[in-house]
Amino acid sequence: MIGITGHVVYLPRHRIEREKIAAAHGARPILGGERTAVGFDEDAVTLAVDAVQALGLSECRGIYFASTTAPYLERMSAALLATACDLSEEVTIADFAHSLRAGTTALRAALDRVVAGEQGPIVVVAADVREAPPESPEEQWFGDGAAAVAVGREKVLAEVKAWASVTDDLLDFVRRDKDERITSFASRFTVEGYRRSVGRAIARVLEMSGVGPSEITRVILPPVDPKLSARVAMELGFRAEQVQEMFLDRVGMIGCATPLFLLSAALEAARPGDRLLLVGYGSGADALLLDVTSEIESYVVRRPVAEQLRWGIRFPSYELFRKAREYFRHHDEGPILSNIFYEKEEVRTIRLRGMECGECGLRQFPPAAICQGCRSRKSLREVRLGRRGEVFTYTVDWLTASPMPPTVLAVVDVEGGGRLYLQMTDVEPSEVRIGMPVRLTLRRLGAGGGLYHYYWKCQPEEGNNGRKS
Amino acid sequence: MGESLKDKVAIIGIGCTKFGELHDRSLQELIVEAAYAAYEDAGIEPERVEAAWLGTFSPGFGGGKASVTLADALRLYGKPITRVENYCATGTDAFRNACLAVAAGVYDVVLVVGAEKLRDRPVRGLQREGTHPYLEAGSTPPGLFALAAVRYFHRFGGDRRTLAKVAVKNHRHGALNPKAHFQMEVTEEQVVNAPLIAYPFGLYDCCPTTDGAAAVVICRASLARQFRTDPVYVKGIGLAVETGWPFFDPTFEYIGFPATVAAAAEAYRMAGIRHPAREISVAEVHDCFTWTEISNYEDLGFCRKGEGRYFIEEGRSALTGDLPVNPSGGLKSFGHPIGASGVRMLTEIVLQLRGQAGARQVKNAELGLVHNLGGPGAVACVVVLGR
Repeated sequence: MIGITGHVVYLPRHRIEREKIAAAHGARPILGGERTAVGFDEDAVTLAVDAVQALGLSECRGIYFASTTAPYLERMSAALLATACDLSEEVTIADFAHSLRAGTTALRAALDRVVAGEQGPIVVVAADVREAPPESPEEQWFGDGAAAVAVGREKVLAEVKAWASVTDDLLDFVRRDKDERITSFASRFTVEGYRRSVGRAIARVLEMSGVGPSEITRVILPPVDPKLSARVAMELGFRAEQVQEMFLDRVGMIGCATPLFLLSAALEAARPGDRLLLVGYGSGADALLLDVTSEIESYVVRRPVAEQLRWGIRFPSYELFRKAREYFRHHDEGPILSNIFYEKEEVRTIRLRGMECGECGLRQFPPAAICQGCRSRKSLREVRLGRRGEVFTYTVDWLTASPMPPTVLAVVDVEGGGRLYLQMTDVEPSEVRIGMPVRLTLRRLGAGGGLYHYYWKCQPEEGNNGRKS
Repeated sequence: MGESLKDKVAIIGIGCTKFGELHDRSLQELIVEAAYAAYEDAGIEPERVEAAWLGTFSPGFGGGKASVTLADALRLYGKPITRVENYCATGTDAFRNACLAVAAGVYDVVLVVGAEKLRDRPVRGLQREGTHPYLEAGSTPPGLFALAAVRYFHRFGGDRRTLAKVAVKNHRHGALNPKAHFQMEVTEEQVVNAPLIAYPFGLYDCCPTTDGAAAVVICRASLARQFRTDPVYVKGIGLAVETGWPFFDPTFEYIGFPATVAAAAEAYRMAGIRHPAREISVAEVHDCFTWTEISNYEDLGFCRKGEGRYFIEEGRSALTGDLPVNPSGGLKSFGHPIGASGVRMLTEIVLQLRGQAGARQVKNAELGLVHNLGGPGAVACVVVLGR
């Protein structure tokens, strides 16, 4: 059996109400509610790392990364992901890009590989931080986020029965190599194109598997228009109760991560025997038919969507929302580091290795030659450090240079031993206390010398300390 | 265990510039003023100096980080000069190295200068140099000490009001000192209500960034009375270096600084001090932040760990207390030009021991202590001086 063996969503903690965006432009919101939005230290890769970590796999044979907004145009994002997840050099990696369909295209590629004999799991992770022009409707109804699924043969939660695609070079959203923001051609014409491509892809996959629309428990459609999406689903022949909720009022359209996000949400609620129809759209469409197995009953989602929706903190203003999105476009004054330094640092900083002493047992960071506890010189071995922990002590520092002061700095004791000194992100300073549980999250620390600099920060665990909104 | 430094070296001359925002003066001018004041106080001509040590953290432009900053300022050429940099213990460590050379009998008369021009730098606060681009990203001097203050409060209690008492005391002392950066008193309310810098530290919990220079002339103890009738003798010196990354040490308790404890133990051993709180008459300790002074009381053995807050609350460290701490106003009020501070603190204790400290004179000062603490509490130097 081949199919989905794990799934998770990662939504950035920051949100902004559409009222606030509209008001900044003297306009009315095109849609109610709020959207998810990245903090200044996040990008598509950091969101993807958070998603892959939340997946909690003990084994991973490959990473397929999908995004239309990868931070590097030349340098494989999946390689950075594999490093951050401390995977071996033997994993198969690939980047998928340039289309809102990239998420389902990557999923198809992973399925193809498993069909070809790969044991799996292969992680397919999609993340997007799309930039729409200020004042455009897209600025309001887009969101940011990531979702990941594992594809393999063991403990399959949802067997993929069939998949099909159609190609259509329709112009809806485009961005040239020289553009920072998308150009939207969205109109009733593009909605028509969506209906056409999606309709054909669905028809093909249903025909291949001999299943009728009424036999689908849940059809998972990426939203095409903030207002028309629900109606388009009906026009495709589905009843309202079959259509997967799209979370437009709480999240928004999160680019090529949308299909996997909605699939994960559907799987959270799914029961054995449910039949899901997953659709990806962009320059054509992908459709996949999945049958939920009994494994779903024992599967634990590490970061349920509902909890992440409650976990949000709101940008106090539109200006800060925009500043967070644009900060690193204008700031490149970080350290200029050699690639030789980067190579040396990679193991300890991005892979986050520490040492453990065979004599006294002390776990310590960063890697060193002599034990900090017992001074033994021969007994240290390299270990992976835990990525969750507890605040030992902290400060809220207004002197730290930051686009959004103050900066919370914390000394964190990590699970399994070892102590780290980390900036805390996605946090309201009043939340912080000694003993607070935190999770490590890879973030952009700065930019300079042609590189974005990534290192770990920590964030509050949702559910424990998050302000209930 | 080697020999003690006790009574082998004497301070025969001291000099100190006004501390503050000396916008119209250069580092070189400050060095010259401090050194020539020390020569005059010692009653020597510059030619008498056989070797010199310069303590600076950031010598600015010209001369880079070498010893030529001192040589060119004083036109002191053809002699051995060493520049010392050891975080905030720079000044006292420069002094310590000079003492070792004199005690070894290599030189008779040497000069120690600490000088710093922090206000000439383009950044707010004290920029940390040479830090790791990832592992220490975002750390600031107040932020590093705040980590300990937060943990200390968690363990022993206390709050911003506790800290404010240190600021009030040191400002009161500084108001008596014409050379201090700030000569103004502050109220507890002012301190508590000041803007936060790094929780729990507000503006008045932090020492300022200051310009200044100080110098001492030292000689072999056996020669001291050739120069003056009231030399001050070095009774003991200790320097201790702990990890520069305490935040990675899983065993670090963050309630005080083992570097100070170790440096004090060494200095006390040399000086033969067993009960510091009873034997020491006056102390200049490293109050870079208000909480640091509270921790210093404990780490220097003036009281037990966790009881430092009572030491300040009960007024024991005030000028009128039984162990006055920072009669000069401390780093808090006198200012903290990194490399200059340790040497400046030595000049204050010398004044106290000579009975020349004016309005801030501690009665019957017999034994005085100087303490510096550098980096994130990583480097500590303790000097004990006596008559």
